[in-house]
Amino acid sequence: MEKNLNEVSRKNQPVQVSRRNFLKMSMVAAAAGAVGAVSAPAKVVSAAANSMNYIPGSKGQWSKLRPEPDYGGATVRFVEHNDEWLGTTRIVGPIKNFNEADMGFNLCARGLLGEKAQKGVLSFIAKHPLGGSINDTLMYVATEEAVSGQPAPKKMPIPDPEQMSKHIKDVAYFLRADEVGIGKMPPYAYYSHKTTVGRDKMASMPVEKWTVPFEERLPYVIVVMVDQHLETTLASTGYDGISGSQSFRGYHATGNIAVILAKYIRRLGYNARAHHARNYGAVMPPCVIAAGLGELSRTGDSTIHPRLGFRHKVAAVTTDLPLAPDKPIDFGLQDFCRVCKKCAENCPSGAITFDDDPVEYNGYLRWNSDFKKCAVFRTTNEEGSSCGRCMKVCPWNSKESSWFHKSGTWLGSKGKVSAKLLRDIDDMFGYGTETIDKYKWWLEWPENYRIP
Amino acid sequence: MSAFLIFLAGALFLGGILFIKPRAKKDKVWKAVLNWTLYVAWYAFTWMGFSFVYINSSVGHVKATSTAVFLFLGVSVVLAFVLARLLGFIGAKKSDRTASA
Repeated sequence: MEKNLNEVSRKNQPVQVSRRNFLKMSMVAAAAGAVGAVSAPAKVVSAAANSMNYIPGSKGQWSKLRPEPDYGGATVRFVEHNDEWLGTTRIVGPIKNFNEADMGFNLCARGLLGEKAQKGVLSFIAKHPLGGSINDTLMYVATEEAVSGQPAPKKMPIPDPEQMSKHIKDVAYFLRADEVGIGKMPPYAYYSHKTTVGRDKMASMPVEKWTVPFEERLPYVIVVMVDQHLETTLASTGYDGISGSQSFRGYHATGNIAVILAKYIRRLGYNARAHHARNYGAVMPPCVIAAGLGELSRTGDSTIHPRLGFRHKVAAVTTDLPLAPDKPIDFGLQDFCRVCKKCAENCPSGAITFDDDPVEYNGYLRWNSDFKKCAVFRTTNEEGSSCGRCMKVCPWNSKESSWFHKSGTWLGSKGKVSAKLLRDIDDMFGYGTETIDKYKWWLEWPENYRIP
Repeated sequence: MSAFLIFLAGALFLGGILFIKPRAKKDKVWKAVLNWTLYVAWYAFTWMGFSFVYINSSVGHVKATSTAVFLFLGVSVVLAFVLARLLGFIGAKKSDRTASA
């Protein structure tokens, strides 16, 4: 009886652990926790992947269809995205969200940049039948129903953010994107207000009547990029009849990819909105930089990709799908643009500055190029449709695949002295400013280019 | 065409080695090293020129093609003369006569 009482009292006592054993147990528990933390995501991925019959890509791989990103010959390093920098763009103060009503072509439509630009903006793409056709086709996917909508009520199983990012990139490549990147969505990239009417109606009403606040704020942005076509660029002056069509080739292709991608993500049960040339909710250059697809150039509001240069167009998808964003890139473009100035020398409107250094604009540093002059020239150009002369002459535009062009861009990414050398070599061999007639495949109707 | 040119480049490189081997050996090592270095540099530069001109002309870069013909051909010819002189293909008889006089 006494023995039983002793056993009961021993059972009721709290467990006694010496300090030494306590430390030992703590170390074992910590080690077990660490092993669990390291192995758990792999198990989750494996389990999730098995349920979707998906074989995860290897660690560090860009995507399964393109294991390495294609930066041409440039030396690229990854940089930060924080309160002081967006890639290589220095942030010096609060950046105000931009009102879509104040973008260049809308200023033209409002009659603020002259009567000729106001007339020209309504037909500067459509005055070439091909440009008009591509634009009209893009309009089919420009409705609010096409670009946005409610996600499916039930979330579908998906892999972990790293694998899902690879998968999303593969979807974009499958849909014929030339480049794709994922970034943290900079909140200042969103428009503050969005336009709701066509450009033909903007001048007849006050701005408040046809703009609405744009309130979406999602954490990630997927940017898709499509080449504007090498041979066509080689044959074009940059501001002839095909120029607008080249832009809309890129806009149409990226717009369709973005719309499909956004719909796919919504079907998975997550929020997603497509942004493309005929229905933006955000300004594209900060999205491109955040997604690691370029740096801001001397033109002030266009980005350059290390392989494609200016010769691209982009569309984007903003989403809350769990993703692992890429980092912005630095391939020495700030040094390069500081010394090159080839775009400024060749700009038919004189919109691009010759300044050596960027200046402050809306809370960040950029070159002081005049987007209004650019918009006026593009809408009133009577030698063709729109303009992409800066795109044509920039030494960063990829030419045909060759060891010497890759060597050239490698050289250009190495600092100011080598940048000057690349610019001089580019001039010496006549790249950029030449027009190669054997690729001129399109038809021109110069009588259509005049503005009545 | 590219594959053929690569094959041709390799075959000619080996042929060139066999051709200059008897003359490349010199009494001093640094002279032999100089000969072989110059041969490799000249050969690489010449074929870089062929490649550059071939690609640019096929794409249609007219100025790049014509500039490269002068640039690469010019440098290649100068290097070839220097190499030929060092190997004794040219100028050797003249120096022999001078020595015997």
